[in-house]
Amino acid sequence: MRTFRTALLGFAAAVCLGTTAATETLRIGLAVEPSSLDPHFHNIQPNLQIARQVFDFLITRDHRQQLGPGLAVAWKAIDDKTWEFKLREGVKWHDGSPFTADDIIFTVGRVPNVPGSPGGYGSYALGKRVTKVDDLTIRVTTDKPNPLMLNDLATFAIVSRKHGENATTENYNTGPAAIGTGPYKLVEWVRGDRIVFEENKEYWGGRTPWDRVVFRPIASNASRIAALLGGQVDLIDNVPLVDIAQLKRNSNVALSQSPSNRLIYFALDSSRHISPFVKANDGTALWPNPLRDARVRKAISMAINRPAIVERIMDGGAVASGQIVPEGFFGHDPSLKAEKFDASGAKKILTEAGYPYGFRVTIHSPRDRYPNDASITESIAQMLTQIGIKTEVAILPASVYFTRASRLEFSFAFYAFGSDTGEASSPLNGVLSTYNAQTGAGAFNRGRYSNANFDAVMQEALITMEDGKREQLLREATAIAIGDYAAIPLHFQINTWALRKGLRYEARTDENTLPRSVSKAP
Amino acid sequence: MSAAAAKSADVTPPLAPSALFRFAQEFAESKIALAGLVVLSIVVLIAIFAPFISPTNPNDLLQLTILDNRLPPGTTGSRGVHYLLGTDGQGRDMLSAIFYGLRTSLTVSISSGLIAVAIGTMIGLIAAYFGGRVETLVMRVVDIQLSFPTILIALLLLAFLGQGVGKIIVALIIVQWAYYARTVRAAALVEMQKEYIEAAQGLQLGHLRILLRHLLPNCLPPLIVVATIQSAHAIALEATLSFLGLGLPPTEPSLGLLIANGFVFILSGRYWISFFPGIALLITIVSINLLGDQLRNVLNPRLQK
Repeated sequence: MRTFRTALLGFAAAVCLGTTAATETLRIGLAVEPSSLDPHFHNIQPNLQIARQVFDFLITRDHRQQLGPGLAVAWKAIDDKTWEFKLREGVKWHDGSPFTADDIIFTVGRVPNVPGSPGGYGSYALGKRVTKVDDLTIRVTTDKPNPLMLNDLATFAIVSRKHGENATTENYNTGPAAIGTGPYKLVEWVRGDRIVFEENKEYWGGRTPWDRVVFRPIASNASRIAALLGGQVDLIDNVPLVDIAQLKRNSNVALSQSPSNRLIYFALDSSRHISPFVKANDGTALWPNPLRDARVRKAISMAINRPAIVERIMDGGAVASGQIVPEGFFGHDPSLKAEKFDASGAKKILTEAGYPYGFRVTIHSPRDRYPNDASITESIAQMLTQIGIKTEVAILPASVYFTRASRLEFSFAFYAFGSDTGEASSPLNGVLSTYNAQTGAGAFNRGRYSNANFDAVMQEALITMEDGKREQLLREATAIAIGDYAAIPLHFQINTWALRKGLRYEARTDENTLPRSVSKAP
Repeated sequence: MSAAAAKSADVTPPLAPSALFRFAQEFAESKIALAGLVVLSIVVLIAIFAPFISPTNPNDLLQLTILDNRLPPGTTGSRGVHYLLGTDGQGRDMLSAIFYGLRTSLTVSISSGLIAVAIGTMIGLIAAYFGGRVETLVMRVVDIQLSFPTILIALLLLAFLGQGVGKIIVALIIVQWAYYARTVRAAALVEMQKEYIEAAQGLQLGHLRILLRHLLPNCLPPLIVVATIQSAHAIALEATLSFLGLGLPPTEPSLGLLIANGFVFILSGRYWISFFPGIALLITIVSINLLGDQLRNVLNPRLQK
């Protein structure tokens, strides 16, 4: 009897709590968990989208990656090498301390110097000297003219000097350093289970519809959809293409779609004379590495049936590509079409290059990181085998994969690059410039392609202020790299989110899932 | 063997049927176990002769084309091949893929099972025979290993070893030997109390001879039962590991991998990619278990009528 009464009391209390403190919680099923909450640790989309909850940027990007005011409200170029920025007034860190120019100076110093970082942010901060004019005005100077100043400053999050000084990446992961100016405050991160945020009610950008946001990493596509259909989450990202048709028919689900800036491509080891996963037909090491020969790379590109992959594996949810940035982006060259599929032509070129009987290669690919990543790799193995390159496939979990990729352990590997800047110079410089740890050029150049000619044009493009001329140079650089088959572009993705009925999401080209952009349908 | 039995029957009318015959008779009392045996034989024959009876070779990338992927059962593809059970996401004929998948699954589980039996038996016998510190040491290792979930150990091992048929066999041997060691030791401890061992020791026979010629044959019945049931576990474990993507390379799918590949298509209604390999796996495991259950009934003296 007593236990019954206690239970009744408990129930009554729960009901009261439920009605009085009606918090609006948004639960999000994420395909990929971030590797760190340190916003300067690793420049990858899963980290960036979580960083955007806690932190702000000097310049923001909207859902089409167009630039707009963030922590900086106004700016002007004083001369070719100096920019002046007015900072937003009255912005407070989550602990209540004021945001000032000192935080910017600290951030720019921290970005290239995060110990243990796999990289990706350094090049955006290096070479920028920030001086304080007053608490809310800064000047940024560079040695060379930098036409991409605003793009660069829209790339890294601004952290607090007070909490960031001497803070390690682990301090950001566990919370004490994760004090930002952003729309949400970090409550806790339980790795593999959840990341919980509560709303920053003093946010300068205004209130959001959600008091509490819970991100749940659910890597399995089927489980993520099941979680949405079962009501465990309100919104999921990375909806697999195969399920779109079926979700469209479900009246309890709303979809939100946008073309993506993300290019799927293959990087081939074009620098080492002996490559670890390229073997002769008898399984012995092959010297010289055939992937160094541009003709072999061309044959590989020609052997790939891109329309078949788009149609049969991506269910039409991709656009075949012959270059690095999608249509509509600055630097896109409309005359460059996707390589035409021609198996017999590929075989002929392979013979000319001295490999009439092909060779052996292992393609590495992550699993469940990008839509159909493993299936795409498997189908490419099929296509290469048809022209005589006996291909094996090794599929690895994303965490293992990217660590090994950064150590250059692969010969032929699946990668993707999202052009966050909305133009061609950052992907060209990041993926195809000769690797240089000091300048940050070629940070993602895992095939270690290197062509002095390309580098020269690229460097010029990076300091050309005039748009027309810069676009011309970017197209020229693209033509050189594509002519060399420096990487094998495959296609651009299409991004899809699924929400429970009654919610809307402003779909983005950059794949980020931002709770602020989730609204209730009227 | 039946020929030998028949021959002896010609000479003198049998007073008692041979032990094996009696065993077969008792086994056949359960019709359902007999059915299990028949089904299992068919499965094994399919696995052995997969290259000869499969319409295509699903592991040969030259024979695949993604233009034929995800075709429903009963379609004829672009190259004129008739896909009785449909095709998977890479255009593999499901029927051939299941035949080859069975082959891989059985190869992995049987070869790992045999080696694990050999290792486990040897260790179990030695522990029981020598006793003392050797026994304590060995059995504590066994206890520690059995206290961890099998799947956890296998996952850790494969994360460390990498992909490949050889590696998954090694992982399965390491997770299985302890079961056999414990079973054999228990049986051997009982046998050690019996007079014939005492007699053999009295005759000063070599340790090896006593172990292998006297002790081992009398420990076999429980071992056979455990090995049969354990081989069903091994198949399921291999399927689980492949399903989790840690087992075999994706271009040579086992049943588990086929199910995993089809899993993404289930919500979109292409059931056949997961369904048929799942059925094949189910049939194999159930028939082994039926067989194992009946073997236990027949070989267990306590259950004897």
